[in-house]
Amino acid sequence: MSAQIDTAAPPRPRTRRASPHRLRNLVQNAAVAAIVLAGLALWQIAADRHLINGQLFGSPLGILASARQGLTTGTLLYDSWVTLYETVAGLLLGSITGTGCGLGLWFVPKIARPAEGVSIVLNSVPKIALGPLIVIWFGSGMSSKIWLAAISTFAVSMIAATASVRELDRDLLNLFRALGASRGKIFRKLILPSAVPWIFSALRMNIGFALIGAVVGEYIASQAGLGHEVFVAGSLFDLNTVWLGIIVLTLMASLLTLIVRLIEERFVTWKSDR
Amino acid sequence: MTQPPPRNDSAIMTPALAIRSLSHDFIAADGGATPVLDRLDIAVAPGEILAIVGRSGAGKSTLFNIISGLLRPRSGRIEIGGVPAGTGNSRIAYMLQKDLLLPWRSVLDNALLGIELRGNVGAADRADAIAMLDRYGLAAQINAYPHEISGGQRQRVALTRTLLLRPTVLLLDEPFSALDYETRLMLEDDVMSLRDERGMSVVLVTHDIEEAIAMSDRVVVLAGRPARVSQDIAIGLTTPGRRDAISAREAPEFRAYHARIWGALKSTAIAA
Repeated sequence: MSAQIDTAAPPRPRTRRASPHRLRNLVQNAAVAAIVLAGLALWQIAADRHLINGQLFGSPLGILASARQGLTTGTLLYDSWVTLYETVAGLLLGSITGTGCGLGLWFVPKIARPAEGVSIVLNSVPKIALGPLIVIWFGSGMSSKIWLAAISTFAVSMIAATASVRELDRDLLNLFRALGASRGKIFRKLILPSAVPWIFSALRMNIGFALIGAVVGEYIASQAGLGHEVFVAGSLFDLNTVWLGIIVLTLMASLLTLIVRLIEERFVTWKSDR
Repeated sequence: MTQPPPRNDSAIMTPALAIRSLSHDFIAADGGATPVLDRLDIAVAPGEILAIVGRSGAGKSTLFNIISGLLRPRSGRIEIGGVPAGTGNSRIAYMLQKDLLLPWRSVLDNALLGIELRGNVGAADRADAIAMLDRYGLAAQINAYPHEISGGQRQRVALTRTLLLRPTVLLLDEPFSALDYETRLMLEDDVMSLRDERGMSVVLVTHDIEEAIAMSDRVVVLAGRPARVSQDIAIGLTTPGRRDAISAREAPEFRAYHARIWGALKSTAIAA
């Protein structure tokens, strides 16, 4: 009978110590918060002691007062909702139609190359310059901002979708063909799923473009929205309200990016870098 | 035990795969034609493993694409089970060096892809797939994604995907060349065992002369530009017991076959 030697290491006792990675993140976040707070304090002190012109630079407490007033009257929430609605509607409209056009080109390879060229030219057009035209065509209501946001995002989505088809592994396509897959099945089971990471990547980029489109539309002609508020406040030298608008727009962009990232993590669970 | 040289009796029985007077050209962007295959005639008997070796650019992969219906040849024809390819009930399946697993599908769903593309996946297909994955030691990984398993395991999933189609002819285009030596030997054994169990024919394209000799009943050397069949060598190896990837390499005849095939390849290299 042979004796068995247990060479396995004894199990380590489980301890609830913070990992070095988490600890490092915590220290980094605390350092960033400290720097921001110190900056705000210096800004406020400089404004209080008239070291800077409060009329031209605003101040943190002034921004807080503007926020309190906006929340009390309800204008801040309403304007934020209008801009958020225009941005999200434009983002979805532009991204869905752009992605649909880009992927749809797979069915008509003869026009794929020229159409991709057109989308690149379209992307290089300064969309802001189209603002007055869009406002004339669609009026000064929310629809012109939605269209401007959609136009700002369409080309990016289309370029990403055509790139996902172009970069597809030819051997995979050959495998599907050799297995007798119909064009419909190739599209549903290969083209579409392989484009998903590209679609999310374009969507993340498009959040910024859609927001710019909506805000610029509000600058040009509008009755509501954060862009409208910022434009009006800027004209009146109310820098605190301008800062407030910028801060809320930044938070809105961050929130939308976070939502897109969470949806991506929910649907793209198969990527090796997760 | 001396294994009989080849079941090369394609002259009297209908070959599982027949390549008849096959020629093909590459068409350049300017319209110029470069001949790559020249009047190839190759027959593979039912249950035979045939290896095709040749230098890079000899047209091996082009030949595979023509057999699997991805390319239309300039002239000649492919017959599967005695009838033109694509018209009979015989099935061709192929497997490449790349496993070509879809990263968004689980191991089980990847294995079932071929069946899914040809029709609907039933409960019996699912049970078959699980049983085959279990046989390859992948029972615990059926819900894993491809990036969560090793290269050898991925290649076994690809083999499962191919075999679930119950092919009568299995085409292997350097399927194991990216794997480590031990895994490669195990997969070579798997293919030989499956041939013995199912009687399917196998066509193996490889750069690896040892792999060609160890696995196959016959080795065809493609040479020249355009490529022609320069040698058709029947392989008979003396092995103690059943022939497998290791015992084949230890057979006394192994070195002589190696030298002969290497000589054929070298002479074509010099001629080229």
